[in-house]
Amino acid sequence: MKLQTKFNLGIVVVFVVLAASIGALSIHFVNANTIREAKNRVSIYTRAAWEIHDGRVAQIEAALEVLARTQMVEEALQPPADGWELLEVREKLERIRREQEMDVLNLLAPDGTVVLRTRYPYATGDNLADDPIVQQLITGQENTAGNILLTRDRLELEGEGLIERVLTIGPVPQAMFAGAAVPIVQGGEMIGILEMGTLLNGAVEEVDRIRDAVFANETYEGKPVGTATLFMGDLRISTNVLDDQGRRAVGTRVSDEVAEQVLEDGEAWTGRAYVVDTWYLSQYDPIRDPNGDVIGMLYVGELEEIYLDLRRRAVAMFLAVVFGGMLVAFLTFYFLTRGVVQPIKKLSDATQQLSRGDLTYRVDIEERDDELGELGCSFNTMAERLEEQRREIEQNQQRLKQLNDELRTTNRNYMEMLGFVSHELKNPLSSAMMSLHTVKDGYLGELSDAQRRSLESVARSLDYFQEMIKNYLDLSRLEKGELEAHKQQVHLHSQVVEPVLEGLRKSLEEREMQVVDNLPEDLDVYADSNLLRIVYDNLLSNAIKYGKNGGMIELDGSLGDGLVTLSVCNEGQGIPPEQMPKLFKKFSRLDSPAYAKEKGTGLGLFICREIIQEHGGRIWADSEEGEWVRFSFTLPDQSRRSNNA
Amino acid sequence: MPDNKGTIVVVDDDVQLVESVTTLLESVGYEVFSAYRAEKGFDLAKEKQPDLILLDVMFAGPPGPDGFEISRRIKTDEVLKDTPVVMLSGVKKVLELGYDVTPDDDFMPVEAFVDKPVKPEKLLTTIDEVLEAKES
Repeated sequence: MKLQTKFNLGIVVVFVVLAASIGALSIHFVNANTIREAKNRVSIYTRAAWEIHDGRVAQIEAALEVLARTQMVEEALQPPADGWELLEVREKLERIRREQEMDVLNLLAPDGTVVLRTRYPYATGDNLADDPIVQQLITGQENTAGNILLTRDRLELEGEGLIERVLTIGPVPQAMFAGAAVPIVQGGEMIGILEMGTLLNGAVEEVDRIRDAVFANETYEGKPVGTATLFMGDLRISTNVLDDQGRRAVGTRVSDEVAEQVLEDGEAWTGRAYVVDTWYLSQYDPIRDPNGDVIGMLYVGELEEIYLDLRRRAVAMFLAVVFGGMLVAFLTFYFLTRGVVQPIKKLSDATQQLSRGDLTYRVDIEERDDELGELGCSFNTMAERLEEQRREIEQNQQRLKQLNDELRTTNRNYMEMLGFVSHELKNPLSSAMMSLHTVKDGYLGELSDAQRRSLESVARSLDYFQEMIKNYLDLSRLEKGELEAHKQQVHLHSQVVEPVLEGLRKSLEEREMQVVDNLPEDLDVYADSNLLRIVYDNLLSNAIKYGKNGGMIELDGSLGDGLVTLSVCNEGQGIPPEQMPKLFKKFSRLDSPAYAKEKGTGLGLFICREIIQEHGGRIWADSEEGEWVRFSFTLPDQSRRSNNA
Repeated sequence: MPDNKGTIVVVDDDVQLVESVTTLLESVGYEVFSAYRAEKGFDLAKEKQPDLILLDVMFAGPPGPDGFEISRRIKTDEVLKDTPVVMLSGVKKVLELGYDVTPDDDFMPVEAFVDKPVKPEKLLTTIDEVLEAKES
């Protein structure tokens, strides 16, 4: 994958994860906030609704308080109050009731017995001490206000048309009544009670006032922003919630869940409520009478859609900001990484060019003033150095080649001369040896011991001379590059080892050495027999020359791993480990007393190595100092192939 | 002087060697004739009809037949065809020949091949063996 793709992918993954988590977090945050906020607001609205409702009751109470201090009311209670006086008082109070738009205004004796019903003057004498407002007043001797339930009997007593009014709202012949009662005091003694109030059933001005005050009667997308409802028990008796035909939805009932929590347990209920056709965030508060009994509910609801839209807008804005920011960040990052990746790509291309051998290639990012620019600079400097060095190397190579050619020519000339001289020496040497041995061996007459010893010394010198010539001639051919193995199937025993041993028989006898021949009788090798004889001649001559008098020389051979491994091992001084590396080098002689007494050209093992390598084999030595030394070499085992061929 | 053991013609371009070999052979009782060039040697052999011919391979001097060719001529000559030939040469010991040098009827029809340099004992033994083989 390309670096740029990796960077892009990486940042996209990071951003997607970030966006998802920020998005989720923000939605959660907005959700929690708006819902909490909505609940708070509904709770505040409900308190405001209570203020309005309670204010109305307080207003009634205030009005009664003023009324209770008037002469007219006191006189009406003074015994013996006659019918005329009462009639006059009733007329005045009835006017007040109507002005106040109250449904009930009663004058009671201190024990709760009705003295005067302004709305229905013929019904008197009944006792209202079980009316919770009156009851509280009698008990506490002070003003009492609140909401109570009026039973059917009470409604009948309070005046005509009330039950009918109640029944237009719902099927329950009961009313919820909001009112107050104040004591009438004369000389520190309570002489009577004034009670006034209004039926809440169908009292739309009450709920509309709440709505108008709290929600300013606003609409949102054609729906009222807020609504308020009064319940008597679970029955809507006054509301500005409209049903699907646009009428006020009175006479319907609240859900069981709300009724249970508010009416039975007496606790407020807050939450989403499906009102007619829309969800409202709502609160239902219990309405209690002065005795603390729950008699109904006050409902305030605000359209949920406002909050949902608010939330949607908040989330949308949040996400827009997050994604916009991320887009900007991504673009910034993209161009930043591009600025880094482009020069790296250039460097990579340049490195490839360099590795292909184009040392003249340069990278053009030097003008950047950052690390990449430095890298580009270093790269170009490096390329320049390399180019320079290559030029130098080429020049040096040229010079070396020239020198080498010169050396080769010199060496060739030298070797040719060496070969020529050696060859020319061969014939005189042959005749010299023939003559010497003819005399030494007594063919021309008996010799004295001194004469023989002297001639034997000459013979040894001539032997060395002969070996030297032989090696120099071999070396001359090797160095001239004329060595070429004419390989053929060779029977190792009869064609190589036996002729060599025959030539060395005399030397072996002189040193009283024993040859133990462990070579397999039928071993064939694919080699140049002449060259192989030189190898065996050299190795065996060394074994005789440097071996122990009367010691053993062991010849071994084995097949395996596609190789023929042959070895010549002799008892003797062995070779010190530190001398090993010198063994196969040209003109090298071992630096050890055991070897110093024997003359040698230092060529034999070098020639052996060259011959074995020409055959595709390897030669090496191992030794235990003072015990034995073994020379081993390998030849490729091609006998089977050549047999098949 | 020992008894005459027979006649040998020595053909070699190396004067010193011819002298050495002659001395040795005469010391053990052979009559020796020698020539220094190949063709001369062939003529000498036809003239003397020896018991054995000792023949070199390479001859210095003007171009002419080598020892191999003379050996083939001897074996096809009416007079000399039964005369044994011992090849005496240094070619075998050096790398100048890329092939093995052994007597063979087509190329080098000789009875024995002796490497130069050779020790007297080895040369005499070879000659004795060849002569014995011829008599039997």
